[in-house]
Amino acid sequence: MQNIKAVFAVVGLAGVLLFAWPSLGLIVHLPIGERFSELYILGPGHMASDYPFNVSAGVDYLVYVGVGNHMGSSAYYEWKVKYLNWTDSLPNSTAATWSPLPRLYGYRMFLADNETREDMLTFSFLNVTSTENITRVGGLTINGATYNVDRTCAWDPVYNGTYSRLLVELWLYNASLEPFVYHNRFVDLILNMTAGS
Amino acid sequence: MLRCCVRFLVFCFLGLLVLMVFASLGFVVWGSTGDEAVARVGEADDALGRAFVAVSEAEGAGADVAGLLVRLNAASGLYSSAEVALQSGNYSLAVERAGDCVGLADGVLGDAGVLRGMALDAAAGWWRVVVFSVVGACVFVGVLAVVWVFVRRRCAGSVLGLKPEVTG
Repeated sequence: MQNIKAVFAVVGLAGVLLFAWPSLGLIVHLPIGERFSELYILGPGHMASDYPFNVSAGVDYLVYVGVGNHMGSSAYYEWKVKYLNWTDSLPNSTAATWSPLPRLYGYRMFLADNETREDMLTFSFLNVTSTENITRVGGLTINGATYNVDRTCAWDPVYNGTYSRLLVELWLYNASLEPFVYHNRFVDLILNMTAGS
Repeated sequence: MLRCCVRFLVFCFLGLLVLMVFASLGFVVWGSTGDEAVARVGEADDALGRAFVAVSEAEGAGADVAGLLVRLNAASGLYSSAEVALQSGNYSLAVERAGDCVGLADGVLGDAGVLRGMALDAAAGWWRVVVFSVVGACVFVGVLAVVWVFVRRRCAGSVLGLKPEVTG
């Protein structure tokens, strides 16, 4: 008799919970986790390796830019590509300010919550001229579009290279503020312009 | 002879004039200026923003917007190619792609409004969920109680029906 009583109690409790579940869903809301976005660059094989480093003019380079949305709802992103020489300042994560240099290329996407997407970023350098210690980069082709950059990169005697950066910033659409606001996420590729140019 | 030459020159001048008028008309009809392309790409940008706001509102109302996001990404791809075409100086292509983008984004805007309305209607019927839930739970408990009483009586009856047996 005690066994039957226990079985009835368990079945009764389970049944009541089952029927009450839709109503409980209206009342009880689970806590929302941390809201954030991901931004990363992968090499040509979709792996965190084989990144372009020693670059020269006229050669196409391929990387993948990945964005992940964990903002709790759908989001509208734009990643912006900028070209910096070694002395240009990077975005400031503490002050949440972006690089003051103009955007060259922008790529926009819509992501559902918890969705991640990787898109191709191809680039090549144009009109690269070198004098004694200075290399001037005239243009940059990004995903088929050509941009005038006209940046000079100086030879770094400490690290023995002519370094520059391809910077990718993540911006988020916010209709109530400005259309796109800097989302305080950036990644950069350090590039060494080699003599092949 | 001189008259012939003058006639020939006048004919050439008129021919050139007609050619220039047709050429400029053709440019207006078939070609696109940089300003027009910039304006159309700007319109596409605005259309994408409006469509996303509508999709966000639909999502906030509880609608499933996965399909709309796929279409928005297609529109975004058109926008990107319009921007690239603009940058490359291919204004006609930029105008064409931007126009396609606006068309797609406006379609999403309309559908998002419909989905939002449906989601709000569904959410307005929350009391049906509560009634079904509460009534269902009560009926379940009632049926369980009846079964419990029936089982207990049967068990009690079988115990009372036993005859004592003395052994030893």
